[in-house]
Amino acid sequence: MKKIFLFFIFFYASGFSQAIHQNEVDLFSPANIKKFADYLYCSGDYLRAALEYEKYFSADPNDTVKFKIATAYSKIGKYSKASALFDSFHENSKFFPFARMEFFETLFEEKNYPELRDSISNAGLSNGFIFKEQAKKIYYFSYLYSNESLPSKSDFLSNFSGPDLNQIKYFYDWKNNPPYKSPLLAALFSAVIPGSGKLYAGEIADGVTALLATASLGYLSYTDFKAGHYFRGWLFGGLAAGFYAGNIYGSAAAAQIYNVKIQFDFENSLKVFINSKNCFVPEINFCK
Amino acid sequence: MKIPIAFFLSLIVFSTANLFAQNEFAKEFIFATKLYNEENYYDAVTECKRLVFFDSDSQYVFKAYILMGKSYKMGGKFSDAILNFTNAELNAKTSGEVFESKIEIIRANILRRTTDRALQLLDDLDKNGNFSSRTDEINYWRGWTYIFAERWKEAASSFSKIDSCEQLQQLCMQVEKDKYSVTFANLISHFIPGAGQIYTGNYVSGFLSLGWNILAGYVTINSFAADRIFDGLVELNFFWLRFYNGNIQNAQKFALYENQKISNKALNYLQFQYNGTKP
Repeated sequence: MKKIFLFFIFFYASGFSQAIHQNEVDLFSPANIKKFADYLYCSGDYLRAALEYEKYFSADPNDTVKFKIATAYSKIGKYSKASALFDSFHENSKFFPFARMEFFETLFEEKNYPELRDSISNAGLSNGFIFKEQAKKIYYFSYLYSNESLPSKSDFLSNFSGPDLNQIKYFYDWKNNPPYKSPLLAALFSAVIPGSGKLYAGEIADGVTALLATASLGYLSYTDFKAGHYFRGWLFGGLAAGFYAGNIYGSAAAAQIYNVKIQFDFENSLKVFINSKNCFVPEINFCK
Repeated sequence: MKIPIAFFLSLIVFSTANLFAQNEFAKEFIFATKLYNEENYYDAVTECKRLVFFDSDSQYVFKAYILMGKSYKMGGKFSDAILNFTNAELNAKTSGEVFESKIEIIRANILRRTTDRALQLLDDLDKNGNFSSRTDEINYWRGWTYIFAERWKEAASSFSKIDSCEQLQQLCMQVEKDKYSVTFANLISHFIPGAGQIYTGNYVSGFLSLGWNILAGYVTINSFAADRIFDGLVELNFFWLRFYNGNIQNAQKFALYENQKISNKALNYLQFQYNGTKP
């Protein structure tokens, strides 16, 4: 009887330890912090994921977690934090080439083109670097975004080949000689013929309206003065002068707006092109 | 006799083990609530997410989703709040919890001014037989929905169905009474330029408008009378009609603006001085 009793005591004691093991949840143990961070990362909650990974990283620093922290920061646009982390990978790390390319991408997104080109020249173009071709393309594409002088056309185009060459040629030519409208010229046109500056800047309806309004008001002013109605003559003359001056200013502004618009369209289409051609290294999928 | 003792001993041991885990979750929920009360909504959401992720027995999942939704609501992220309240509803275990989560969804809809959705949800609750004892609450939130949609008359009508809401009913009726008629302001401006502005209390603007219209009318008619037809047409088009149309538009604009001011005054009172439950 005593043996049976002891057996039960032993049996339940082992059950107890198992139960404690199964039910005890230390929410802030490193393993659980990592589990939670993985869940946040894969559900796209990158800021929280980065903060949780940072907590875990202090307990177990490793490259995988560091790479995830950097990627999470990059995803939410905190490029300076991301680039510092990507830059800190050692050459021996298996993540090194990916981190390097991500580093270039963060610099590219930050529009820090001089540092990007320096970094690519220093490390990205060495022969051992597995993503050398992509790095080279990023290097040259950065010129299309910055205001620095472009490399020669032959140098630039020698880094590209295949069916996209024509499109890249178009981007190069656009950047080299952008089809801007001169605000000064637009203002001068409108000073000579009211509305013509607007026509030059592509605003046809506005140009025609400005011409008609200025001409009608000017004519009214002229006929009123001629008929001896001086008050009305001055009134319509003043309005005509206002329209005339406003139209000159408006034409210069229209040319500037036109330039901003085409610059925006150019950068947008370039961005779409770069993304569609996988110029950056594909992301490592940690959420399979 | 010793065997049953061992059995009972094991039962105590098992329940202690379960309680241990529950205590961890309870502590975590208390921590999240503390963060929420300290207005640290970002961290409150993080801790609620942690709780939802680890609480496989769903002991605190409903409460965590509600708290998460409230945190998002306090941060003005109403769509995220609604998503979490909906998750709370999906994890509700009692009809009371379902009602609570639905009301939270309605309150968030009121705040983000998706009035039609809030009214639709209130109608659904009204039709649901399980909540027939909570009609007062449904009418209360319907009243608030109308307040936020600036439909004060309908709000007053909703509050009139609740015995304890006389104050809100009176307030809504007063606002409705104080508001200017946009149609009337528009109409009288057609007949007497400036009258619409004067009706809404904007006397300077009203008399200025009247003056401009008299001047423009005089100049135009004078031109036609002197057989200067082209002058008359241009003056009519660019001068008189500009002030005449402007006066009508202005009267309408002033009426809307003054009504907005009246509504805002009432909303301001509700926000800072009304002590009842608010969205």
